[in-house]
Parts: sequence; C-alpha cells; structure tokens
Amino acid sequence: MQEPELHDLSDDADYAASQQQGSASMMRSDSGKHSSSSEHDGAEVVYMKDNVTIHPSMLASERISGRLRLIKQGSSLFMTWIPYKGQNSNARVSDKDRILYTIRPVPMTDVRSIRRHTPALGWQYIIVVLATGLAFPPLYFYNGGVKEFLATIKQHVFIVRSAEDANVFIVNDFQNPLQKTLSSLEIPRALSVGSEPSTSFSVGEASVDENQERMSVDIQNDNINISQYNERQRQKAHDPARDLSIQVLEKFSLVTKFARETTSQLFRDSHSNGYGAIERRSNSLSSIDYPSQKASDDWDKVPDKSPVPQDPLEFDKLSLVWGKPRQSPLGSDEWFTFLDSEGRIMDSEALRKRVFYGGVEQKLRKEVWPFLLGYHDYDSTYAEREYLKAMKKAEFETVKKQWQSISPEQARRFTKFRERKGLIDKDVVRTDRSLSFYDGDDNPNVNLLHDILLTYSFYNFDLGYCQGMSDLLSPILFVLEDESESFWCFVKLMERLGPNFNRDQNGMHSQLFAITKLVELLDSPLHNYFTQRDCLNYFFCFRWVLIQFKREFEFDKTLRLWEVLWTHYPSEHLHLYVCVAILKRYRSKIIGEQMDFDTLLKFINELSGHINLDAVVRDAEALCICAGENGDACIPPGTPPSLPAEDGLLYPQQELDDVL
Amino acid sequence: MASRRRMLLKVIILGDSGVGKTSLMNQYVNRKFSNQYKATIGADFLTKEVQFEDRLFTLQIWDTAGQERFQSLGVAFYRGADCCVLVYDVNVMKSFDNLNNWREEFLIQASPSDPENFPFVVLGNKIDVDGGNSRVVSEKKAKAWCASKGNIPYFETSAKEGFNVDDAFQCIAKNALKNEPEEEIYLPDTIDVAGGGRQQRSTGCEC
Ligand SMILES: Nc1nc2c(ncn2[C@@H]2O[C@H](COP(=O)(O)OP(=O)(O)OP(=O)(O)O)[C@@H](O)[C@H]2O)c(=O)[nH]1
Ligand SMILES: [Mg+2]
Repeated sequence: MQEPELHDLSDDADYAASQQQGSASMMRSDSGKHSSSSEHDGAEVVYMKDNVTIHPSMLASERISGRLRLIKQGSSLFMTWIPYKGQNSNARVSDKDRILYTIRPVPMTDVRSIRRHTPALGWQYIIVVLATGLAFPPLYFYNGGVKEFLATIKQHVFIVRSAEDANVFIVNDFQNPLQKTLSSLEIPRALSVGSEPSTSFSVGEASVDENQERMSVDIQNDNINISQYNERQRQKAHDPARDLSIQVLEKFSLVTKFARETTSQLFRDSHSNGYGAIERRSNSLSSIDYPSQKASDDWDKVPDKSPVPQDPLEFDKLSLVWGKPRQSPLGSDEWFTFLDSEGRIMDSEALRKRVFYGGVEQKLRKEVWPFLLGYHDYDSTYAEREYLKAMKKAEFETVKKQWQSISPEQARRFTKFRERKGLIDKDVVRTDRSLSFYDGDDNPNVNLLHDILLTYSFYNFDLGYCQGMSDLLSPILFVLEDESESFWCFVKLMERLGPNFNRDQNGMHSQLFAITKLVELLDSPLHNYFTQRDCLNYFFCFRWVLIQFKREFEFDKTLRLWEVLWTHYPSEHLHLYVCVAILKRYRSKIIGEQMDFDTLLKFINELSGHINLDAVVRDAEALCICAGENGDACIPPGTPPSLPAEDGLLYPQQELDDVL
Repeated sequence: MASRRRMLLKVIILGDSGVGKTSLMNQYVNRKFSNQYKATIGADFLTKEVQFEDRLFTLQIWDTAGQERFQSLGVAFYRGADCCVLVYDVNVMKSFDNLNNWREEFLIQASPSDPENFPFVVLGNKIDVDGGNSRVVSEKKAKAWCASKGNIPYFETSAKEGFNVDDAFQCIAKNALKNEPEEEIYLPDTIDVAGGGRQQRSTGCEC
C-alpha cells in the first residue's frame, strides 16, 4: 500500500499564514522539537508539530494539513493550529475551509479535555473539547507526536487522566470534575469549531465563543435546551452516559459534510424508536433558539463537494474509531441489580444497553439469552419462567414424538422425511466439531443438535431444515445446555431469521440489498467501486448475513457478537452496519488492490478469524448513528431480523411444494 | 514460461449437499482429507497451478453449497466456467438422480455459448464407504447416464482415501482447457498434472 504522501514543507506558503498570525519569529525547526523562540509579546513556542491534519470529510483525500503549536505567554499556555496555504495537491480543500478550520490561539484554561486516539490502523489523533462544550475536529498527527503533545501540556497546566477512560485527559480540573464537565460536555452544539480569518494575534482573547453561533450550523433547525442539565446531573454521578456525552461530542466533531444532514436528525426526530440513550438524551433537549437564519447563510459559503476521491489509494487511512469503548461483560452481581424481588427485569432497555456495550459473562448467558431472544418476557417472574419451562418442555416432547414415532418401515415410504433427516445427519457432524463440547465420536451434544433440528423441521414443516441452521443452533445449545430450552430459543431466533432460509431467498436478498444501499449512503466511493467492478450483488457478504457472522469469528467471539446484535440496541439491523463496518475497514485494500469479484470473495472468506470484533462493533454503532433515518430508509420493511407482519403465511404457498 | 500470460481455467463443482465436493477439492489441491470440513455456505474457490508442457495454467476450482435452496446464487458464480464437475455419492440414490437437475441448472445459469458441447465431468464419490457394500448406484448405471448426455467422462473417487482424485482432476483440467477459445491455446495430446505418471481408471477421459 502506498504511504500517504508527505508534504514537502519547504514549498509551503504557510509562512504567510503564520506571519499574519503574528508568529513570524517561529522557527522552522524539525517537527516535534521543542523550539524556544521568543516572540514579540514574550510568547514562547514550547511545542510544534508539522503535518497535523484535519479531515473535513471522512475521505483521507480531503484534508487540511497544518502546524500545531503550543505557545506559552506569561503563565498561560495557548494552543493553535494553522493550516498551510497553497497545498496544490489538494484542490478539494478550499481556502474557505482552511480559514474555517483554523484554530486561533486558544488558552488552555478554555480547554476541557483532550482525548487521545491511537488506532492500530491509521494515524493517531486527538480531539480537543472546550469548556464551552465545543469540540475541535480531530487533529490527526501524520508524523506522530501525540504523547509529546500531552507531555508538554502537562509541564505547563494541570492535567489528569480521566478515571473512566485512560485516553481522556481532563485539563484544569481543580474543583469538581464531574459537575463542571457535565454541563459542558453534554451540549451537542457544535460539530466543529473554526474561526474567522483573523488579522491579529490576540492571545488571551477567547476566540471561540464569538463564533459559536455560526459554527452550530449543522443543527441549525434543532431546538436545544440546555437548562435541564442540572436536574439530570444528579442522576449521573457514575453514569457511563457521561462518557457517552464525550463520545457524542466527538462524533459531532467528526461529523463530516457528507453526514451533516443525517446526523442532525439525531437531535431532531428523536421520537422514533431505536436510539436508546442518545435518543433519550436528545428528547430532553428541546427548544432553544438557534440563529438559524444566520447559520444557514453562513453555511452557504461552504461549497458542496463531491466526495469522490481522486486517488483511490488515499482512501480511508483514518479508521472510524469513534464508537463507544467496550465495557466488561455483565456479571452475576450486576445482573441481579436488574431484577426485582420476583425476578422481573425492571428496566429492560438499560439491560439491553448494558449487554450491548459489554456482552454477558459466559456462565450468565444461560440466564440472559432467553430474554434477548424473546423466549422470556422481561416482565415475567421467576415463578412464571419456571412454569413456562415445564409447559414448553411438554410441548417440545410432543413435537419430537412426531418424528420419533416414524418407524423405519414408514420412513421408507416417506422420502421427504428421509431426505430432511439425511441433510441434518450430514450437517450436525460438520458443525463446530473442533469444540470440545461437540467433538469426538458419538458425542451426545451432536445428537441433541440433530434432535432439535429435526424437531424444528416438524415444528415448522414449511421452512423445514436448511443448511446454516445447525450453525445457528450450535451456540444456543452450547450456552443453554438444555434440549427443550434450546429448541424454544432457536424457535425464537428463527422467527426473525427464518426468511434467510426461504426458498426464494427473499430474506437474503433484502439484506444484501440493504447493504448495497447502506454502503452507497455511508461510503459512496466504495459503492462506486463495487458498481464498476460489477460486485453489486454483494454475494461476498452472503455467509456473513446468512448465519450472522458465525464463521467469521472464533466461537466465543460469535457468542459475544450475537448477544450484542440481539439487544437490537442502536438498531434492529445493526448486523448490516457491521457488514458495512467490515467493508469499510478493508476498503483501502479492496480498492487499492483493485479486487475483482472473485478476488474479493476469496479475500472476504479468508478474513474469517482475522476481524477485530470490538472495533467492528464500535464502527458499526458509529455508522448506525451517523446514518440515522437515512440508514433506516435503506432497509426495506420486513428485512430480517425484523419480525414478520402478523398476517399472512410466513412461507408463501407456491413455494412449499419445492421445499424439502 | 513466466513471461507468458498465465491462463485461468474456471471449474465449478456441483452436486447435492454432502456428496463430498469440498472434500474432493481439498484432496486435490491440498492433498488432505478432514472430517471437520463445514457445510459450505455461499461459495469459495481454491486455485492450483497446473503445468502443461511448457505452460502453466491456474485452475480455479469453485466449490458451492449443495443445498437446492441456494441454487439461485449460482448465477453469480457459474459465469465464465470452463468446465463443470457433477458429483454424486454412490451410496445415495437421490444424489445421482439429481445430476440431471444440476446439469440443467448449470446450463441455464451459466448460459455457455455452446451448451451442447460444454464440458462436464461426473464423479461418483465415496466409493470407500463400507467397503462398497452400501453402494446403491452401480458403475454401469452411472456410465449409461454419462453416455446419454454426450459421453461425459466419468470417474469413481474417494476423497477420503484420495483415490482417483488426481486422475479425475487431470481430465477436468484438460476439458476446461479444451473449452478455451482456439487461438488462446495450443493443445498437445497429453497433460501432465503435478508431474506424476497418469493411469486412468474407470471410463476415463475420452479427450
Ligand atoms: N467415507 C467418505 N466420506 C466422505 C468422502 N468425501 C466426503 N466425505 C464425508 O462426507 C461429508 C460431506 O463432505 P463435504 O465435502 O463437506 O460435502 P459437500 O459436497 O461439500 O457438502 P456441502 O458443502 O453441504 O454441499 C463429510 O462428513 C465428509 O467427511 C469420501 O470419499 N469418503
Ligand atoms: Mg462443501
């Protein structure tokens, strides 16, 4: 792969800019070296880094590089970032953008926190959140130096690591860390902060506030009320939502032009289901007058740009590491806090959210999965569940008897039965046999798989058995270790995923179609690439979708992913965003190597076992939130795992004749 | 040799679920058999270099899912095939009966330019099972069907024991090559796969 081109700074005309800003005496020293050059006001540059870059959109090709400096004047420390002028290589970035994103000296006393991101792939970057709640766009350090940056700040101002997140550094946090941050962090007001073209270097003058209004354009039509914060703060002493607010802010600072509209919807039409905490948060944000007129006028100045990059090799060097960090899995002690004395789950949404962000400990899965799958109602009691278990066991046995009572004689005249059983026989011995739970000859668990699947094919004779089902059942049996309970949980899962196995493949087609649309929405260059390469059928995602990534991750990771997906927390269709997230992770490879359909299919098949689950889930969450309603609109109604409409046959009659 | 364009020969393996398509492909390409192959979901392929006098060819062998319900996917994979391998399990009558469906389905979906002469090869797999005692499709019956479909070459194989697998694939490669446009190739009368001497069993390759 090609390295991102580094700009030869000797040709840059950034001197002009820096001179304009009053830092004429800045030495062109080596990147990162602490240079101490005195300025006319007695200011001293204590840190300087070249090739620190902002990506106005998610395209790596659209970027503004500049110089980041920390300047000390008296006892105050200022941060400033000034883009280079005349980067001919990057015609996409207009001067307006350069001016818009310029960070005029900001005193560190105005900085609330700095989050450091050091993705394994791509460049390190920081996000600087101001005390006002505004956040600058991420600053990517093309030449490294984040650590040094933070170390330098530490020498001059009080800075502490956040207890919640080791990558967050709280600045100036003398008194009440929580109180102070909450009110500021939760204001999702600005997506990015820029400043007017400034003519004078005005150290000490807060250059941000005056621009807040015009910079809030992306949510211009939204009505946001910040007056309710105090009330909510009380509930939030240790609420991870606090961290979420940082996340939200960061997301907003990342929001690119392409996602502008979709994201603003997050805060507008927040009454639809599916956005969980973020939605609830935004519900309480209502009615503040935004100077929308002014804002939109201002926005018009920024020309719209086509996101089609010139050089495919430059794609997406930055990774989308901006979902919420994963938590540790839910354990027993915490689980009991979700239950009332009779065993009801008091706040199912909170539970789902908890599971979404952390998963469930292995030994607790047995308890939690039946809820996630919808086999148990959240408001059922211990006693009701025990009763259900007994009833359902009897019902299971009845269905099982139906095939058990078929004698060999009868079977001889019952081709459909023999064929169906034959398929299942063949598949259960090819399912997860490398796990000790299923290995060896005459393993009783393999027999259980067989019996459950055959029973299911009688329970739902129209759908019958289809390859892939054994992959879906295996983890459930592994977790529940009970034949009847596994059967009913599998039934529940198949209520949602059954259409994947329809003869006409409609469930699969609608999902692959939705992926096409989502990629078009969230990564149009990649979409264009697939179009060119005649890859729009997305068959290379077939296995991912059919069996919910079962073959793509190690067994225990699959369990984790499934419980996360089953929460339906940010979206019922998060798995589609997972597909997009994976494709986006590898987009530069796919495009860079000019993969054709065959190569792509092979490449994707061979990704199996090499995908970073946590990263992909985080990306998927971020993409899902970013896509908002436009994302929903990409997904046809009834697309699995949506529950099918109540009316009508699940499996249309004309197909039944062909089905085994 | 290296300076010449390496030619890609695309081969599709079809047949009912569980007849041993994945096992055959792995036996041929990787020379191993495992009891732990998973049921194929979607499609995958392996490639193998085939030497042919002074020329190297890349055999691209496509393995697809056997279950009927996934057949509609085929169209994405069958296109551009040079040879189609039809596999059945000699111990399962239905898998033999279905050969005709597979053949027709392939011709519809791949829509080769000359369907009458498109090269197929039939493999009767799993002849090792139970020392041949559980066999339900006789060699004679299989050969008769092959003859009726334009003398399709027929091989009896065991992916498990590796029996006759190389020979079968030599024939497959040769037939795939024959399907290539005339000007692209030069057709000698022997093909040497993996350098081994070749002894043909069963009907063998009529080409
Ligand atoms: N005894 C014996 N078993 C075989 C042979 N070939 C395959 N098998 C077994 O038959 C089962 C199916 O083999 P696969 O190669 O997975 O079958 P497939 O045709 O690829 O099946 P699908 O992927 O479902 O379409 C496996 O359990 C193999 O171990 C053989 O030659 N002899
Ligand atoms: Mg297979």
